[in-house]
Amino acid sequence: MKGLLTILRRSPRAAFGVGLLAALLLLALLAPLLTPYSPTSQAFGTWLKPGGEHLLGTTALGQDIWSQLVYGARLTLLIGFTAGLVATAIGTALGLSAAYFGGRTDEAINVLINVFLVLPGLPLLIIASAFLRGGGVWSIILVIALTGWAWGARVLRSQALALRNRDFVQAAIVSGERPARIIFAEMLPNLAGLIAAGFFSTALYAVLSEAALAFLGMGDVSQVTWGTMMYWAQARGALLQGAWWWVAAPGLCIALLGTAFALVNFGIDEVTNPRVIHEARATRVLRRNRAAPQAEPALEPPQPLLAIRHLSAGYVTPQGPVRAVRDVTLSVAPGEFLGLAGESGCGKSTLAFAATRLLDAPGVVFDGEARLAGQDLLALNPAELRRVRWKDYSLVFQASMNILNPVLRIREQVYDAMQAHGVQDRGRLEARARELFALVGIREDYLNAYPHQLSGGMKQRVVIAIALALEPKLVVMDEPTTALDVVVQRQILQEIDAVRKRLGISIVFITHDLSLLVEMSDRIAIMYAGEVVEEAPAHELYAQPKHPYTRRLMGAFPPLEGPRERREGIPGRPPSLAQDIPYCPFFERCPNHLPGTCDVFKPARVEVTSGHSVACFLHSPAVKEEAYAAD
Amino acid sequence: MPYLLRKFLILLLTLWVAVTLNFILPRLVPGDPVGAMIARYQGKLDPSAVDALKLAYGLNDQGGLLGQYFAYLGKLLRGDFGRSIGQFPTPVSEIIAQAAPWTIGLIGVCTVLAVVLGSALGLYSAWRRGQPLADALPPLALFLNSMPYFWFALLLLYLLAFKSSVFPLSGGLDPFLTPHSPTWWVSLLRHATLPALTIIVTSAGGWLITMRNNVMGVMSEDYIAFARAKGLSEGRILNRYVLRNALLPSFTAFGMALGFVVGGSILTETVFSYPGLGLQLYNAVTNLDYPLMQAIFLYIALAVLIANFVVDALYALLDPRVRDGKAA
Ligand SMILES: Nc1ncnc2c1ncn2[C@@H]1O[C@H](COP(=O)(O)OP(=O)(O)OP(=O)(O)O)[C@@H](O)[C@H]1O
Ligand code: SF4
Ligand SMILES: [Mg+2]
Repeated sequence: MKGLLTILRRSPRAAFGVGLLAALLLLALLAPLLTPYSPTSQAFGTWLKPGGEHLLGTTALGQDIWSQLVYGARLTLLIGFTAGLVATAIGTALGLSAAYFGGRTDEAINVLINVFLVLPGLPLLIIASAFLRGGGVWSIILVIALTGWAWGARVLRSQALALRNRDFVQAAIVSGERPARIIFAEMLPNLAGLIAAGFFSTALYAVLSEAALAFLGMGDVSQVTWGTMMYWAQARGALLQGAWWWVAAPGLCIALLGTAFALVNFGIDEVTNPRVIHEARATRVLRRNRAAPQAEPALEPPQPLLAIRHLSAGYVTPQGPVRAVRDVTLSVAPGEFLGLAGESGCGKSTLAFAATRLLDAPGVVFDGEARLAGQDLLALNPAELRRVRWKDYSLVFQASMNILNPVLRIREQVYDAMQAHGVQDRGRLEARARELFALVGIREDYLNAYPHQLSGGMKQRVVIAIALALEPKLVVMDEPTTALDVVVQRQILQEIDAVRKRLGISIVFITHDLSLLVEMSDRIAIMYAGEVVEEAPAHELYAQPKHPYTRRLMGAFPPLEGPRERREGIPGRPPSLAQDIPYCPFFERCPNHLPGTCDVFKPARVEVTSGHSVACFLHSPAVKEEAYAAD
Repeated sequence: MPYLLRKFLILLLTLWVAVTLNFILPRLVPGDPVGAMIARYQGKLDPSAVDALKLAYGLNDQGGLLGQYFAYLGKLLRGDFGRSIGQFPTPVSEIIAQAAPWTIGLIGVCTVLAVVLGSALGLYSAWRRGQPLADALPPLALFLNSMPYFWFALLLLYLLAFKSSVFPLSGGLDPFLTPHSPTWWVSLLRHATLPALTIIVTSAGGWLITMRNNVMGVMSEDYIAFARAKGLSEGRILNRYVLRNALLPSFTAFGMALGFVVGGSILTETVFSYPGLGLQLYNAVTNLDYPLMQAIFLYIALAVLIANFVVDALYALLDPRVRDGKAA
């Protein structure tokens, strides 16, 4: 019930569909109130035109067409709903049992589904009803359901199969729960949207099939449905008499009913299947008018390659904005290796994407700026952005199986990054591709492969290779090595580092692995709940972590030397990023917190020793003024 | 199992199911179909037609049901579908051979046009999401797709043939024309226009929705985000990344939709008296011409299955994963 309301609220299309459906249902229910005449009475003049006593005129036999329409809604809807229900029940039962029992049962059901999918439905229906003539409405319903269940079963089976492999169902199976309980209590509720969608599509199929059968004169044409109305209109030559409304009205009703079913379906899909769409529009930037950049204090030389200033970014959700990046100021010098660490969900990826203008909707930049070599990325238009992307900076995405286009060869995907930025010569492309593959340690023949032929780790290396293709000034790597084993990981990082030193490119490296960062980075920034809470040269951060969070983080990871034992994690959870946090975000978990201070004021990040800044009252009394209010 | 072999086995199995249904259905009828037919024709039936009928249904066979079944299979394999009752003594296969080109021509051309048109609009509607026209398309498509085929056909007939005689009222050709002469072609096209319009308008909406869903699904994949990050041109992303991937699921949908389109075309032909299989099927049903009816059903099933198989083969060509047997 609650799910239904959400769907109606979020999808105007579904709401319109439900409204339409309700109107047609009311038509059927309130038929006696809507017309004084019986639909079968032949008491009136024949071929009367619409208007006056008879809203839609009368038939060749002198029946009132409006009465037929409203009473006809009853049987039409009954057939649609019942056949839809029966077909959905069959489809659900078969789809779920296939997924639950697996093995041979699944195989058999799958073949059955495939057979019924391709058997041409209507011709089969016609033949079947020609033989079952005279069986009345119920035989029609049955035949429609028997020819229409396969589509729903197919979709349901594949979804249920996916569901079966999910943890909670697996857990239930292992704990020895009965199949019926697992199917009904664990799997069914998760498939409700899909089952509803299946119902509405088969109901549509049923209504259209009934109309078609009735129109061909099969089924019981003495009953009043929208289908039989059109049969009689055609049989009596309504169009030749110019009584087009006799044909038009019932057909329009069927089309509207079908549209209502389809709209509800559309809405269910829109809401239960929300998608992040990667589209052409660059990240939305909602900056308020600020003072001109010159008003900012002059940057001391050497000028940073990437300067992120007061950047706030996050996501616009129906429950309100989520501020995943909060007033972050950070810079990366040319040739520098900057490490970025922090717990999962603290906003590292959001920062990386927002600063490079790659954050897709619902992501937005609320405020701030990100300058690459002096150029404000957040002010570029899409065409300008396309030119600087990959040429000036590249981004290695967080581990993902679907990062490469499954239908193109690897070679084409390595080439096209270079081709998009002016490298056209085949020989150069090929030489560069081979060079890159050697660099990340993949055999060159994999250039000919398709992505599914590569392992996860190989895909990651391909992506790293593509990121280095144009030797951009800045490479942002979001956990680029998580799918690799430790040995390969080090090896690749050393290669990347060698390239960095050789070409003088800068790298922003995001990871959970603090010990790795300490080893590789020049500087490290620690993020917590959307903020950078500490930033320092790597060796100094390692030797003297100042922020209590950094200290705990160091403690949670094994030391560089010595036994690799697991330390205890940090108890507690970070605050929700959907709320304002006008105090130290860490105070609830902080062992050193100062009551009356840390939970009332927000510490500002200040440089406590050269190049080492931290936001904590233990180290500086500076209070940060809240720069933003909720937009 | 190799992908195509599996598909072929399913084709054979489906064909067998269709053939068997064809055998079982007449035997489910209360009473016997031959009796019903004789009653219907009220003695006007040629006595040799009655014999032919009994022969067709194996009713004069002494063997049991199984024996009848195998006799029936044997006849099918020999291509012997018996003789039509309504048009006695024309062999059923002759009627089909004469009607089939009309239907295949009409449905084939219209389906291709509808798929291309619908998919193009669906791609546009997803790609340009948020623009008024692109957002108005899906509800319109849902409406067009929900119209009963024959209803839309009737309206077209009324408006464009009856009220204003832009197009002919019925038939497939004007009589007495030299085949393949220019006037013959014009006449052919004029007669085909309204049926074609019906099929295209009512089925393109379905393709639009399918394609739109596919494109939206693809546009939420990481490889699209990555392609954008690479700074690829819009044209390249659209062609090589979005379209190539979004077309694939359309192929699976194609097979399922084909049966539906064929069904709709039967009704369309009836409305326009277009001389194809649909009209023959309709006549066979109204005349209780069971042999013709069953043969047409088998023929349609076979055609749909073969079309499906061709599409499956194309699918394998386009998707490297299927070629390697990694996905269904
Ligand atoms: N589309 C979204 N809508 C709403 N909130 C989101 C969305 N995507 C991410 N978030 C929220 O933004 C916060 C930051 O996410 P982000 O992906 O940047 O974390 P992260 O630091 O990269 O984590 P991880 O180490 O797990 O990759 C999280 O709390 C997450 O819940
Ligand atoms: S400001 Fe207070 S609560 Fe926050 S980290 Fe420092 S000591 Fe802990
Ligand atoms: Mg992340």
